Amino acid sequence: MAQQNRLIEGGRIARDSQINFSYNGKTYPGFVGDTLASAMLANGIDVVGRSFKYSRPRGIVAAGAEEPNAIMQLGATEATQVPNVRATQQELFAGLVCQATNGWPNVEFDMMASLGTVGASVMPPGFYYKTFMYPKSMWNTYEKFIRKAAGLGRSPLEADPDRYDHYNQHADVVIVGAGPAGLSAALEAGRSGARVIIADEQAEFGGALLHSKQSVNGMPAMDWVASVVAELAELDNVMMLPKSTVNGYHDHNFLTIHQRCTDHIADRAEKNQSRQRMHRVRTKWVVLASGAHERPLVFGNNDVPGCMLADAVSTYINRYAVVPGKKLVLMTTNDGGYQAAFDWHEAGREVVAILDTRSYQGTDTSAVIDRARELGIKVLTGSAVVEVQGAKRVSAVSIASLNSQGDQLAGPVSQLSCDTVASSGGWSPAIHLSCHTGSRPVWSDQVIGFIPGETVQKQLIAGAIGGTFDLQSCLAQGTRAGAEAANNAGFTVDATASGATAESVAETAPMALFHIPHPKETSRAPKQFVDFQNDVTAAGIELATREGFESIEHVKRYTALGFGTDQGKLGNINGMAIAAKSMQKTIPQTGTTIFRPNYTPVTFGAIAGRNCGELFDPKRFSAMHQWHLDHGALFEDVGNWKRPWYFPQPGESMQQSLERECLAVRDSAGVLDASTLGKIDIQGPDAREFLGRVYTNAWAKLAVGKCRYGLMCGEDGMVFDDGVTACLADNHFVMTTTTGGAARVLEWLEIYQQTEWPELEVYFNSVTDHWSTITVTGPNARKILDQVVDDIDLSNDAFKYMDWKAATVMGVPARIFRISFTGELSYEINVQANYGMRIWEAVMDKGAAYNLTPYGTETMHILRAEKGFIIAGQDTDGSVHPYDLGMGWAVSQKKPFSFIGKRGMAREDCVKEGRKQLVGLITADPKKVIPEGSQAVDDPKQSIPMTMLGHVTSSYYSACLGHSIAMAYIRNGHNRMGETVFYPQADGSAIEATICSPIFLDPKGERQNV
Amino acid sequence: MSDSENNQAFNYAASVDCIEQRPATERQITGQSPLHHADLGTVAQAQLGQTGTVQLTELKLLGHLILRGRLDNVGFTSGVKLTLGLELPGTLQMVVDGDISIRWISPDEWLVVVPGERSYEIEQALVNNVQGHCAVINASGGQTILRLQGEDVQKVLQKSVPLDVHPRSFPIGKVVTTVFAKTQAVISRTGDQQWELVIRRSFSDYVWLWLQDCSAEFKLVITEQ
Repeated sequence: MAQQNRLIEGGRIARDSQINFSYNGKTYPGFVGDTLASAMLANGIDVVGRSFKYSRPRGIVAAGAEEPNAIMQLGATEATQVPNVRATQQELFAGLVCQATNGWPNVEFDMMASLGTVGASVMPPGFYYKTFMYPKSMWNTYEKFIRKAAGLGRSPLEADPDRYDHYNQHADVVIVGAGPAGLSAALEAGRSGARVIIADEQAEFGGALLHSKQSVNGMPAMDWVASVVAELAELDNVMMLPKSTVNGYHDHNFLTIHQRCTDHIADRAEKNQSRQRMHRVRTKWVVLASGAHERPLVFGNNDVPGCMLADAVSTYINRYAVVPGKKLVLMTTNDGGYQAAFDWHEAGREVVAILDTRSYQGTDTSAVIDRARELGIKVLTGSAVVEVQGAKRVSAVSIASLNSQGDQLAGPVSQLSCDTVASSGGWSPAIHLSCHTGSRPVWSDQVIGFIPGETVQKQLIAGAIGGTFDLQSCLAQGTRAGAEAANNAGFTVDATASGATAESVAETAPMALFHIPHPKETSRAPKQFVDFQNDVTAAGIELATREGFESIEHVKRYTALGFGTDQGKLGNINGMAIAAKSMQKTIPQTGTTIFRPNYTPVTFGAIAGRNCGELFDPKRFSAMHQWHLDHGALFEDVGNWKRPWYFPQPGESMQQSLERECLAVRDSAGVLDASTLGKIDIQGPDAREFLGRVYTNAWAKLAVGKCRYGLMCGEDGMVFDDGVTACLADNHFVMTTTTGGAARVLEWLEIYQQTEWPELEVYFNSVTDHWSTITVTGPNARKILDQVVDDIDLSNDAFKYMDWKAATVMGVPARIFRISFTGELSYEINVQANYGMRIWEAVMDKGAAYNLTPYGTETMHILRAEKGFIIAGQDTDGSVHPYDLGMGWAVSQKKPFSFIGKRGMAREDCVKEGRKQLVGLITADPKKVIPEGSQAVDDPKQSIPMTMLGHVTSSYYSACLGHSIAMAYIRNGHNRMGETVFYPQADGSAIEATICSPIFLDPKGERQNV
Repeated sequence: MSDSENNQAFNYAASVDCIEQRPATERQITGQSPLHHADLGTVAQAQLGQTGTVQLTELKLLGHLILRGRLDNVGFTSGVKLTLGLELPGTLQMVVDGDISIRWISPDEWLVVVPGERSYEIEQALVNNVQGHCAVINASGGQTILRLQGEDVQKVLQKSVPLDVHPRSFPIGKVVTTVFAKTQAVISRTGDQQWELVIRRSFSDYVWLWLQDCSAEFKLVITEQ
């Protein structure tokens, strides 16, 4: 029968909007306004999963975020799979498809079940540590098995088609929770004009009032809620976020709020609409009004489907018009629990009995007992359910009398027939967020729970989170907290306004009871579950303490109590109470574990936001990028830049392209887009002095119009960047850096100027993006330049190597630097980037007659290696100083002021014999290219471990030279020229090579000086 | 002791190399702005007459001049005032006068934006008029300006910038240099619903992709200057 548990009237559901959903392949009806859980209960679905360790059938226990069992795998298609969705938090929509997460292969017939019942004895707490660690080699096998059986849900195998995004928010007051306290606070703060954000995880505001029969301001509670929401909606300064869970509370009042924008509408969001949104909120003040979670009692077989929280029963009846059973036994330690029985009775179903664990003296009674008896409900005081019968649904309970402390049974066990057991052990304040920032919660005997402790955050609490459960007090606290938060944030609150009011109800004190005794000792009694999601039992906790795990943190890790997505919402307090009792301590002595973000699971989509796909990481392009694309370049990532790697022609292999590009440069001319190199404009009377201090060589005498190469070292004397700096005018220089090092070098200069040498007058500005740089290189470079340069003499006499000149190139003003990274005659044309493409195209056009060939970074690497020029970051790794590189010529020890790295490179270790030094290598087999990273040894037959001499940093086949070349570190290499070393390879072979100078081509530098 | 303090006659203009960087007018050479490849002009033509809740205009090929100097250097501040007719704006402030604007960037840095065709004339004048230790740097090729206008722009910014862009903390006339998505931008509020972003050339394609993406749920319309 469809929706057999649905009442014919009542509830906050749209009865005219019936919709269908699918659970485990079967279609069921429900209504708009249902949660998945309420619709499942309406259809009489008892089993919603199998437990993680013992594979026991499990049913819905709660009605909110604390639900431990109804964890669903959601999604109609592979791409829209979402794991770990709580059925109690998922709004129902037409066409929703879900599956039980736990239970393999299905929840009704589970092949793990047999293993579960047997496995019960072989899977004690700590079983991960005890069983699966040995033998270690089997861990992979065990892990696969455990993961599959544990049913943690699965991620989709296809790309998520939905959008998720991030929103930055700023507020004066953020209110967490829109129950009576939160709404009162929002109203008060909102009226003050403060910027307020109020967020609640539920679809509707109201919190506990959504299923309450109480009155506020003399009207039904939800009418009051509606009036508050209407007023808040009118205030521009208030943002209301329903369906939004404040999942993390971080330092400095930074909160992350996870909003589900379309999860209630369809399997996937409309195009361009975000499915979920992460609000990153920074606020002056926070009001935590996050309420409390009802605590179940721990008794035998308390996980059989049909065992529920008392308040959840009320919620399903009042809010969703669903009675989740026929015959109810209610067990409670407090007056509040009675409400479930009253609601059940009013729904027209049978209340078998109310078991009040409290003992009353003589003829003592209370208002709730009187009311129950008026309704004809049997009330047994000083009694409790000790054990449940039933497998996939409760069929009966065993009950017995308790002594007044509740730690021993005081009478014989008898049976009651029923299908539902509701229990209430009181309320645990939802202190998770207050714990996220490191605040330790404190135990309150009065509340019988932990409440938020001292905090360094600008944070206030209101309502049940502080242990206040009475409606009138919650409203009053909310009003006060809202006013105080707004005041503290600098807003004026109308002092005459008073908050909403409700009737106060006198209550009999609740009883501090967590674990119901059983006729057998705990270890022999039927399982008494504490943490349903992690299958932690009372016996397991007692075992842990017996085995010496006395710290509650150890107990937690040993048993998995409060782990994972559950975060101990239901079980933590019971677990701590059981641990405390077992060690004969009090709960405050035992202490508590604390909670970490996130409060409930957050999807990866919401974490990533729009930082995915094309937007995952910025791509930087030069002004000539379109040309490179049009001409078939393949690209290499250098920092965030996309640099042409090489330009393959149709049918060419990579090696063929590189050889063609290299030979073109050596034989005629090539062109490189060098725009990505870092360029720093340096100005000031002390610019020259500053350069002398950050570079290893001398700068005092560099004349205007000249360029100079420099090495930059850290304080340790190790090279970290290099480049050419040109003197543009007396106090004006432009420095080039490596492409990847640009930002770091600018920062380095600024740090030294600002912190070490503030007396030096010099300014640094990045002009990397401002200039486009076109490098024309090769024997015919001058002829090509002649065609494009309008106004200057390019002859070797007029424009020398390492000079720069201002010129006009095809009508565009330029600075041309005659510097070379290939060893050939080279000109670097710099024009303002807006004209970069135009000049590049003009150079290509005029260069065509000389076979001007565009080349990329890979060819650049080969060309410079032929000349033995280093690439900082490839041939250096932060452990080599200029002398190791054989570049002592670039260090001036005579400068009047020291330079960065001078002392570092003079340390004992830096000047000792036998350091690894950069050398060249020529292989015995000219075709053999030694893989980069290969280690040199003197004797390839030496037994392992061999004596390693150093590694290969750069290695290529040089088409120009007709053999392979490599740059490498060799211990004491500068003194080993001509000697032979070997490079053992993974395949067992060893490549033989001879040590030589790294300058393979034109050692005198004649080609660049023509 | 530095040169400029010792030497009253220290001549800034003579110590730096300030050159015309744009081609002569008669050559009729037009530059390509950083977003040239996005062909915003064609999009704008296609959307002509439409109004978006996010309207984007590239203010392209303007002159961008960076000023560095200390406020206690009168030779610097008075030289700027003399050249531009504007006082250097204070912390986080932007001033606009006709087609010239100055944005505060950091305690010793400002960005002067001028019409492209006047950039050399103004740069030269600045160089000639300032005295003492300071710097004038042409950055025109390295950045561009995006103007965003419309009722949803603030939301687009909220998706992009951790800083508070609410009118209470980001009034008209304020300017900040801050994180923008995974790059950076100089952001100023130039009207109730109007903002300008100064972005770097090499990151401009990323910003353009990001803005299109952020605006997908709104109505993005491209307009020309």
